[in-house]
This record gives sequence, structure tokens and C-alpha cells, in this order.
Amino acid sequence: MIKVISKGLYTTIQDKGRFGYRNIGVPSSGYMDSESAETANLIINNPKDNPLIEATLIGPTLEFKKSAVICITGGEFSPTLNDIKISSYSAIEVNKGDILKINNSSIGSRCYISIQGTIISDTILGSKSFYHQITNSNIIEDGDIFLFKKNIRTPEQKYTHKKFELNKTINVFRGPEFKCLSNESIKTLFNEEFSIGINNRMAYNLLEKIQDGVNSIISSGVIPGTVQLTPSGNIIILHRDSQTTGGYPRILQLNEKSLNDLAQLRTGDNIRFKLLN
Amino acid sequence: MQFFNLNENTFLITWNQNLDSNLTNLLTSYRNMIMSICGDDIQDCVQSIKSLLVIINNNGSSIKEIIEKIKMIDPKKINIKNKKIKVWKIPVCYDLEFAPDIKAVSDLNNISIQDLIEIHLSKTYDVLSMGFLPGFMYLGKTDNRIHCERKVKPSLKIKKGSIGLALNQTCIYPTESPGGWNIIGITPIELFNLQSNSPCFSKPGDKIQFVEISKSEYVSSLKNPDKPDFIEL
Repeated sequence: MIKVISKGLYTTIQDKGRFGYRNIGVPSSGYMDSESAETANLIINNPKDNPLIEATLIGPTLEFKKSAVICITGGEFSPTLNDIKISSYSAIEVNKGDILKINNSSIGSRCYISIQGTIISDTILGSKSFYHQITNSNIIEDGDIFLFKKNIRTPEQKYTHKKFELNKTINVFRGPEFKCLSNESIKTLFNEEFSIGINNRMAYNLLEKIQDGVNSIISSGVIPGTVQLTPSGNIIILHRDSQTTGGYPRILQLNEKSLNDLAQLRTGDNIRFKLLN
Repeated sequence: MQFFNLNENTFLITWNQNLDSNLTNLLTSYRNMIMSICGDDIQDCVQSIKSLLVIINNNGSSIKEIIEKIKMIDPKKINIKNKKIKVWKIPVCYDLEFAPDIKAVSDLNNISIQDLIEIHLSKTYDVLSMGFLPGFMYLGKTDNRIHCERKVKPSLKIKKGSIGLALNQTCIYPTESPGGWNIIGITPIELFNLQSNSPCFSKPGDKIQFVEISKSEYVSSLKNPDKPDFIEL
């Protein structure tokens, strides 16, 4: 088992997410940066969408009460094992009694800690992903204990992966209400930089406004990556925990890769939108 | 019927008709049809007031193939009248203790609280869509005589089961939450049960009929929450 010595800023368990329940208002949730998360699983031969730990900006400190094989991916959080620096993106053997410390991130916002085998945690509506209205826990707390079942598989082949890098160019498709924008606003959207304001698993708010705040629409479906424009001209990019319907015009839609890239950015970072055909 | 691709695996189908029960029934029929002809290709199909948002699984047909299949549906086969529609009977206690905004809404519309209750009870509402919270139902349309704006200052804590009014819609809060709707009553019904694989008894396209209960009936059924009754139209 694993004991949480210190919980970090916002640490949760996530898998791919909760699917098939959006029609009754249940968000999909799931790991924010799917590429980093799935890489963490693949490196240690777990099924790629196994549940794992997602840390945000300040990581947790975990004590292993039994041996394990783990892998850390995503942002650079300077992880240590018994105060000795360990590398990310490789399988790490952890012994009984070892203390894993995930520190503050210097690059990126989220990192993933996969454990070979299975984390034992409630499955609700087909997923173990934490979400406050659905699962008992909202975040991992100090003193929490996690059980896991080891399932050692000999690596058949070494998994090769892309190197982690930040990407501040956000690729977008036109949204259903893109046509409501004036030429002036479209120019601003694709020629200017936008800086990230308040953000969480639900949404990223951008600080700069665009000129025409357009009228609300009749409430309609939204998904992670939908970019909304409020009547006062604010831009909101919905993320994995976003609600399922909304009444703000949907001007743009991120692709999956840019949704992952955005998940690694933080307050104050500047992004640029790039239109895909 | 217009199609719009949002991304690699999601598209919207939008209808331009005015909102009435026929449109809601049409959307529900299309949703049922899409779910049955596309089966495992569909991950989610979200019904809203005038649209369906379809998310496909990435392991079968392409988005283009699925849209083609949907376009092939013969509108004549979408028979909105013969379909059985569930009407759920939801008990509501309008006692002032659970209706903090009922007086303000009555005053605004120059009617008595009793009139407001009778008007609210007089219609059967369509479940137009769900969202905001898991299991939160948007119901419409309400009678013009009980129209009201959302509250300028949202309440920080709305009780679980509260019945709200805003614009031409009424709603039910499945869990305690902050919110901006005017609260006019409360139901003891459990709206969202995570122990079940279908956690919500109702879904968009169903109908809701409110039935008045007393405060003592509300308190006693809170201890033994019943499943709501329904009839099929």
C-alpha cells in the first residue's frame, strides 16, 4: 500500500474518464494530459488507460509500504526517492519503506505517477476518475492510504515515446458559432497572444477580451476543448471536468493534442490560437 | 436538420424550429433512432433544447459514415406521436420554509402564492436537457404568469431537491449546490443514485408532472424516499 504523507496542491486519481453519461449531465473527467498519462502506463507495461495519480504544480509525498515499479511522466517536478533524484520517463523500482517526493514543477503543470498493476479505488459509472459530485473523494488527502495489486509483467519491448515539451500554440477548429464573430475579432483571435488566467480541471479563463461580446445562445452541448465567448467578451476554454451543456457561443474547438498541451500550461503563460482546416 | 463537426469524433445536429413539445419529442425520437442504428459506434448522445451532440467511439465507423447513416433516416419513420413517453410524478412541498423565493416571484407577477402554486402545477413539463450538475433537469416551458429573471445574486447554498424558476423554465436541484434560480419548493425524491447503473430515473425527452404534498408528507418521505411513479402517454 501507499500512504500519503503530504497531498500536494491538487492531486487526484484519474483514468481515461467516464463515458456514456453526458446526456444526464455527468462530465467525462479523466486525465488532463492524456498523452503523458498513457505514456506513464505504457512504459511500465500497464494497459494504457489504467488509473494513475495526477499531480498539479506542487506534487505529493508518498510512502510505499510495499515494493512497486512506478513511472513518472509529464511536467518536470524534480522527483526524488529517499531524497535522491530519480528520472522521469523510465521504470523506477521502489522498495518497501521508500519515500517518493514529487516536488514543485519547474516546467509544465501536471505530472503522472503510474504504478505497475492496479490501484484499488471505487469505480463509479465506469471510471475511477475523481469528480466531486460523483466520487467520494474530490482530491487525495494527507494520511490517505491506497492499496494496489501488483501485476508484474516482463517487458516485451521497450516503449519509445516522444520527449515532453511545452507547446503554446493551440490548434483549433471553427466552433458552431464562429460565424457570429466580426472580422476584427477573428483577426485578434489569430494574430494576438492570450494569457492564461484562473484555471482548473474544469476550464481555463483567458485574460484578454475580444471586442464583440456576442449574445448567449440556446443552451446546447459542449465538450472538453470547446472555447466559449461570454457576452462581456471573455474567452473560456473548457477542459476535462467541464459541464455538459452551456449557453455561451462556441467560437472554437481544440483538438485532442492541444487539449493535452493546454493542460501543461499555467496562469500567466501566453498562448496563440492556430486555425486548422 | 443541420450537421456541424466539432472535432475528429464529435458532431452537432441542430434543428431550427421553435421550441415546443413536438420539437422535444422529435429530438428524443432521433436520439433513440441514432442510438439503435449506430449502437456501439456512439459514446455519448447529448440532447439539448434544439440540438443533439454526438460523440463517437474511435474504434468503428468514421464520423462521415455515421453522419451518412443518420441522414438516411426516413423522417416519416420518426413518428413522434406513437412513441410512448414517460410522465414522472414528482411530489413537491411548497411550504414557505422550503420556498425562500416564492413570495418575491408572486409579488413580481402580481399574483398570490396560491395562484403561483396552482399555475406551476397546471402544466406537464418536458425535460429539455440535463447539465450544470449531474442529474440537474431543465424543464419547460412554464406559464408566462410565473416568469421571472434569474436572481442577480446567486444563493450560496440551495437545498437538495429544491424546485427552481427562471425565465420560462423550472428545474430540480439533484444535490446541494450554489445557484441562481428562484426557489419555490422542494421534493423528497432521490434524483441521482450512484448505486445504480442508470443513476437518473429520467432523461431528456421525458415529462415531469408536479404533485403537491404537505410539509409533513415531505418530512416523512425524506426518511423513506420512494421512487417516483410514472405513467406512459
